[in-house]
Amino acid sequence: MLKSALKATILFALIAVTAYLAFYYAPIEKSMGVIQKIFYLHISCAFSAFVAFGTCFYANLRYVFTRAPKSDWLAVSAAEVGLAFISVVLITGPIWAHPVWGIWWTWDARLTLTFVLGLLYVSYLLLRSMIEEPDKRALFSALFGIFAFLDVPLVYFSIRWWRTQHPQPVILGGPGSGLEPRMRVSYLLMWGALTGLLILLLSARYKLEALRASVDDLRREAEVR
Amino acid sequence: MKNLDSVLAAYLAGWAIFFVYYISVAQRMSTLREEIERLKAQLTKGK
Amino acid sequence: MALLADATTLLGKELRTEFRSRELLTTTVVFILVVVVLFSFTFDPSTSESRRFGPGLLWLSFLFAASLMLQPCFLREQNNDTLSALRLSVRDPFSIFLAKLSANTLFLLLTEVLMLPIFAILYNVHILSVFPQLVLVLFLGSLGVAIPGTAFSAISAQARMRELMLPLLLLPLLTPVLIASTEATGALLEVNPALRADWLGFLLGFDLVFLTALWLFGEYLLEE
Repeated sequence: MLKSALKATILFALIAVTAYLAFYYAPIEKSMGVIQKIFYLHISCAFSAFVAFGTCFYANLRYVFTRAPKSDWLAVSAAEVGLAFISVVLITGPIWAHPVWGIWWTWDARLTLTFVLGLLYVSYLLLRSMIEEPDKRALFSALFGIFAFLDVPLVYFSIRWWRTQHPQPVILGGPGSGLEPRMRVSYLLMWGALTGLLILLLSARYKLEALRASVDDLRREAEVR
Repeated sequence: MKNLDSVLAAYLAGWAIFFVYYISVAQRMSTLREEIERLKAQLTKGK
Repeated sequence: MALLADATTLLGKELRTEFRSRELLTTTVVFILVVVVLFSFTFDPSTSESRRFGPGLLWLSFLFAASLMLQPCFLREQNNDTLSALRLSVRDPFSIFLAKLSANTLFLLLTEVLMLPIFAILYNVHILSVFPQLVLVLFLGSLGVAIPGTAFSAISAQARMRELMLPLLLLPLLTPVLIASTEATGALLEVNPALRADWLGFLLGFDLVFLTALWLFGEYLLEE
């Protein structure tokens, strides 16, 4: 208990420092102005969300082949935490877009992909809540998760050919997309802080799922008597 | 400092979501812990 | 080869079951008709407008119809307790999927081809000159709907609220099919029709990706 509280405190301190850096240390971007500061949070969250969904896919595959309940716990935790991150992405995105593009939402490739991805994992969690038996729930949701993840690149390319308006990536972009050093420090720290947050949330959710499994075991034991 | 309120709103919304989510996980966890205690008590009583 | 032989036998069984009653086909045709007519009230169905919206609403109605039509695919086996017998009777479980998804593609294609002339008349578009190309688009699109659709029908058969679960699982996943098919159909219904090879290639790619996934993971979908 104390250890997890300590971890949470360290993480929140780290996040506070990064927020401070993003606001005061990093310079104000020339063309966009202060609104660009949303990017530090937005991009790092998007990254964490994709890592979470990737973890979910890995856990799904692992479950199908090993049938270890632990993989299932990891899968459901990753899906839920990924959804939390992706909702932050979907909320901060329009807040940035409104002053810059003049509209809240546009059906651009990356926006739509993020939205569809969120929907797919909402379906994944809904499916889990609709199957009672633990083994069946784990197996069939894992299979759906595999299919859903395979769909991600297909959704991306289909929408990309269709229309696109999202700003080009500035961090991994081509030549000339360099970052001001102080901005890079802020990005890196925010990215580190959110990866830490991802791990914290993931492990908390994983423990919850483990507890749930032991409750199920106890219940079964109580019923047998 | 145009748009500063938007930036603040975005950061607040982001942290609020994580915070609420963390609280919800903690809450679900404590309900389950209570449930475990209850079940264990029930099991030892039945012996 | 055992795979194909088993699949053909099972496909014959699927087709015989359906054509004995034709329940699925008739209800699906009527459903699409209702959706297409209802859609016409939401915008001005004049020629230029329907060229813009027509292909999209046509494919949307196909997707909705498919998500209902695929419902009984595995549910029927489950209700009659025939799934385990079916699994024992074939050498490769993939042949069950192959048969079911070919049957579903065939049913979908049949209803779509039946609906095309009615759609053309109601929405004032010319399809006669591009009919073979349209059928090609319809085929690749329907295959793209049927492959994940058949797989998810096996998944949703295990869940509560399965009538709602199947559309919920299937429709977001079919975003790429909807986009590609709508674009390809739209290009064919233009004043100067064009066969968009890029979108057809994309549809083919989608079909192959999910066919491979089904081939790899199909056997687990049949576990009970």
